[in-house]
Amino acid sequence: MIIGYHLHMKRIFRHTARILAALLLSVAGPVPHGMAAVETFTDETSGLLSWQARHPGFSLQFIQLLPDYVRAVYSGRGLPPKVVELMAGYCMFGTIIKNESDKPLAYRVADWRYITADGQAHPVKTKTAWLQDWRDMGVAFRWSLLPDDQQFAPGDWSQGFTTLPLAPGTVFKLKYQWTQEDEIHEGIFEDLRCAPAEAPDV
Amino acid sequence: MFELRLALVLVLYAPLGLLHAELPSPELSHELNRLETPVAAPDFSLEDLDDEQHALSDYRGKVIMLNFWATWCPPCRREIPSMESIYQDLGEKGFVVLGVNEFETPDHVFAYTGQLSVFPTFPILFDRDSKVSELYGVKGLPTTLLINKQGQVVYRAAGGRDFDHPEVRAIVSELLAESDGDT
Repeated sequence: MIIGYHLHMKRIFRHTARILAALLLSVAGPVPHGMAAVETFTDETSGLLSWQARHPGFSLQFIQLLPDYVRAVYSGRGLPPKVVELMAGYCMFGTIIKNESDKPLAYRVADWRYITADGQAHPVKTKTAWLQDWRDMGVAFRWSLLPDDQQFAPGDWSQGFTTLPLAPGTVFKLKYQWTQEDEIHEGIFEDLRCAPAEAPDV
Repeated sequence: MFELRLALVLVLYAPLGLLHAELPSPELSHELNRLETPVAAPDFSLEDLDDEQHALSDYRGKVIMLNFWATWCPPCRREIPSMESIYQDLGEKGFVVLGVNEFETPDHVFAYTGQLSVFPTFPILFDRDSKVSELYGVKGLPTTLLINKQGQVVYRAAGGRDFDHPEVRAIVSELLAESDGDT
C-alpha cells in the first residue's frame, strides 16, 4: 500500500517536473523564428550567391566572397602575404546585420554555430580570436571582420566578414541568434554555400 | 610570384570595385540614437591630408559630427555626399564634420576621394593605428557620433546613414541652437 503510494507520488513528481521543465524551456529558451523568409540571390555580374533572412525587425545577409576578393582586400590594407593567404584560405562571407525594429537588439557571434554535413555543430571564429592571431603575426589591423557582439539601437546596422574553415563550394547550415528585450531569438540558414575557388562562368 | 598574382587580381578586378556579388546594400537609414546620458568626448589629435594637426578640443563650442570610416567600406562611401551636403549648409553656423579614416594612408585616401562624385571638403583625419576609434569604442565602420557644444557625445549611429535627411538636419540645428552652457 505504502509502496503503491510512493510510486503514485513519484509519477506525479515526474509529470510535474516535465511540465516545469517544458515551461522553463519555453520561457528561457530561444524563440525559434521558423517563419523567417530566406531569399537567395544570384549576382548577374559575378554569378555569386547571397542569402538574406528576414525576421520581424531583424535581417541578416550572407554574401559569398571569392578568395581573390579577400586577397585584394587584405593586401590593399598592407597586410603581409602570409596573412593575406591565410585569410583567402577561409570560406568568407560578407555579412550584413540590421536592426529594422523600433527597439534595441543585440547579437553575439559566439552564440552562432555552423553545422557541417556530418551533423556536427561548430563555433564561428570571432573577430577577437582573429585579432589575436593577427597580433601574433605582427599585424595591427582590426577592421573588416564582423564585430563579435553589438548592441543595435533602432536603425543601426553593421557589416563585416564572417570566416569559416571550409573548402570552396562546401554546403553547410548556419544557426544564428540575437536577443531583444531579454528574449533570445534564433534562425537558421539551411543551405549556405562557400564561394567557389574561382569566379563562376556567367 | 605572390605580388605578380596580386597585381593581376587588382588590375582585373579593381575597375569593378568589388570582386564579390555586389552587396544588396541596405537603404541608408536616418535614425540617430540619443544617448541616455551624454558622455564627455575624449580629446585626440590627428593629422589631415596636409599633415596639419587637428585636435578635437580645437572645435570646442561647435557641433561636431565625428565619422569613422574607411575606403573599403561601401556604406562609408555612400554616406559621404550627405555629410558633405549638411556640412556645406550648416558649416557657417558652427557645424563641423570630421571624417576619421581608419588604418589607411593619406595617398590612398587622396586617390580615393578624387574618384568620388562629391569631393569631401570637410577635414579627413588619419587614425593610422586605430587608437582614436578604440578610445570611442567603435566596433564597426561606419560609426558616427554627434558631439554637442559642450564637448559631449549626445548621438550615435552604427552603420551608414543619410545625413541629409530632414530629421538629421533638425537634430543638428537643435544642437546648434543650444548655448555652450546647456544641453
